[in-house]
Amino acid sequence: MLSDKSRDAMNKPDAKILIIDDDRELGEMLKEFLAPDHFELSACLSGEDGLHALKEGDYELLILDIMLPGASGIDVLRELRQSSDIPVIMLTARGDDVDRILGLEFGADDYISKPFNPRELLARIKAILRRSGSGASRHHPVNVGAVELDTRSRRVTAGDEPIRLTGTEFELLRCLAESPGEVVSKEDLSRQALGRRYMPYDRSIDTHISNVRRKLADAGVVSPFIQSQRGVGYCLLVDDEVS
Amino acid sequence: MRSLLIRIFVSFWSIIVITIIVAGALGYTYAERARVAIQNFEVSDAMLEASAALREAGRDGLTDWLRSLPGVTASLVYVLDDRGHDLLDRRLPPQLQIAIKRFSGPRFRRPPPPREFGNLRPARPFTQLIGPDDHVYTFFVLPPQGTVGRWLAERGGVGIAILALLISAGISYLLARAISQPIRRFRESAVAIADGNLDTRVADRVGRRRDEIGLLAQDFDRMANELQRSWMRQTELTRNVSHELRSPLARLRVALELARRKTGDLPEFDKIDAETGRLDELIGQILEFSRLDADTNEERTRINLDELIRPIVEDVRYEYAGNESRIALEADASAAVYGYPNALRSGVENVLRNAMQHSREDGEVHVRVDTKASQAVIAIADQGGGVAEDELERLFEPFYRSAKGGDDARTGSGLGLAIAARAVAMNDGSVAASNDAEGLCVEIRLPSAD
Repeated sequence: MLSDKSRDAMNKPDAKILIIDDDRELGEMLKEFLAPDHFELSACLSGEDGLHALKEGDYELLILDIMLPGASGIDVLRELRQSSDIPVIMLTARGDDVDRILGLEFGADDYISKPFNPRELLARIKAILRRSGSGASRHHPVNVGAVELDTRSRRVTAGDEPIRLTGTEFELLRCLAESPGEVVSKEDLSRQALGRRYMPYDRSIDTHISNVRRKLADAGVVSPFIQSQRGVGYCLLVDDEVS
Repeated sequence: MRSLLIRIFVSFWSIIVITIIVAGALGYTYAERARVAIQNFEVSDAMLEASAALREAGRDGLTDWLRSLPGVTASLVYVLDDRGHDLLDRRLPPQLQIAIKRFSGPRFRRPPPPREFGNLRPARPFTQLIGPDDHVYTFFVLPPQGTVGRWLAERGGVGIAILALLISAGISYLLARAISQPIRRFRESAVAIADGNLDTRVADRVGRRRDEIGLLAQDFDRMANELQRSWMRQTELTRNVSHELRSPLARLRVALELARRKTGDLPEFDKIDAETGRLDELIGQILEFSRLDADTNEERTRINLDELIRPIVEDVRYEYAGNESRIALEADASAAVYGYPNALRSGVENVLRNAMQHSREDGEVHVRVDTKASQAVIAIADQGGGVAEDELERLFEPFYRSAKGGDDARTGSGLGLAIAARAVAMNDGSVAASNDAEGLCVEIRLPSAD
């Protein structure tokens, strides 16, 4: 899958990335665009092929177009999330809020509107990969309320029960857990958890947070509790602070 | 009397009641006339006349006399000859036949008892005349009331009247309901479709009928089918247009970055990139504009305007963070409307962004929300100097650009206010622009939820 030119330039790819998009030409150009940054991109044209390729290869990130012929990107995401926690960046049509919110609810880590600036895509890929690869920097377990976050293995447990969070959801919870009781602005959350500036009209932080809330509630966790400070950000309340 | 059910019910019922009253009155008049006639017959000189006629012209004279009796009386008087035949050859009523049979038994055939003092002469049950030819003619006058009439008289008219009213009311109600019920079903279905439940059908709900209503139901459903299909086609088209227009743009942007890498940065590349972004935004706005009509997926809900507008203001503040223009929000926390939240959000957002684009560099944009006389008013005023008076109306036309817009003409798509107007109209509201001392003020008025 790797083009000759990039093979000459690189010794070994930093990460293998899969893109599922029915636009063959776009995939080819992105392959070329990402090669200098040591990313090896493979392209699948349909959701079925993509799911198959994900089972076979050891990809570290998936770029998923929501507008796919046949099984839609949402369907692919839903099926994928039953077995895999691989980070996913969605490609959505600008203004199609329903698809975007649905995608984030089904566990996509981030989205980018098509037509996107490829440099922006590159920045997001790097942000997500850096995050999922660099847990080693401070690998002490964080305890808040009934929940323990292991920053190295990126696992969350309540008692002995594991709670399955996507990479972005984990990062959000970690950001909040670092300063319980304090309000963290959406801007900071965006920068730390998504690795990008907060964008106006972007509800992804809110959607991710509500996913975390739901998963905590499903696991029966009462404390910590994520409280929203309207217009400012979010705040993690522990035990006695929960009224 | 606004309900069709009541109207039809009352019409049917009055017709039935009037019919009963007229029929009753007619029947009564007829019976009364018959009674009077018989009374007159009994007290009149009729028998003398009959006797005279018989004497002068025999049987034929009697027959002529019978024929000459006035109207009703003629039909009540029967004259039978020895053999029991009516002189006018009429069929005898059943009760008369029974009476004749009874009185023509052997008891009456016996010769009369001798004319001796103290002998009993049984009375003749009926008036008889002996003709000159020795024939005996028997006269019958029928009683004025039949069995039904007697029963009526015993029970009294009131009971009958009430019974008639109840029965006719029941029938009228059933009739009226049979007509108005399907119409109500039609109405419910039409409302459901208007509310966006495009898969509502009516034929199954009015039952399998083969009359005009059944046919109407089939036509209604065909119309609903067409509506649904056309709606789906439009949604499909919107998605396809979005996809087909944006795919080349996506490729263009990647190709542009590849070119930038190979030939180094050129100022033209930034220009191409910016125009690509503008084209994308324009496509987005056109789609949003066309989707506002087609998007009936959303449900009407109660919307608190403060809660709706606050996040929009935050977003726009953030978008224009580099700009000195500030937004001041002043909202009545209780203002609420019923409507489609997404459409309304898009409408307010577009007006606000338009205000930000046209406000002075250091100006301030005022957003005020309050409730006046059962209307919720969202007023957005900028400090951009306003537009010419004759342009105020046209601001809401698609792609209309104010002459004063000048260099602003390059920003924005020209659809923002048109989207706002359509979104507000969808929510049964109105939007109007006016100039104030500082600049343009756009007022959105919506029916208040309270």
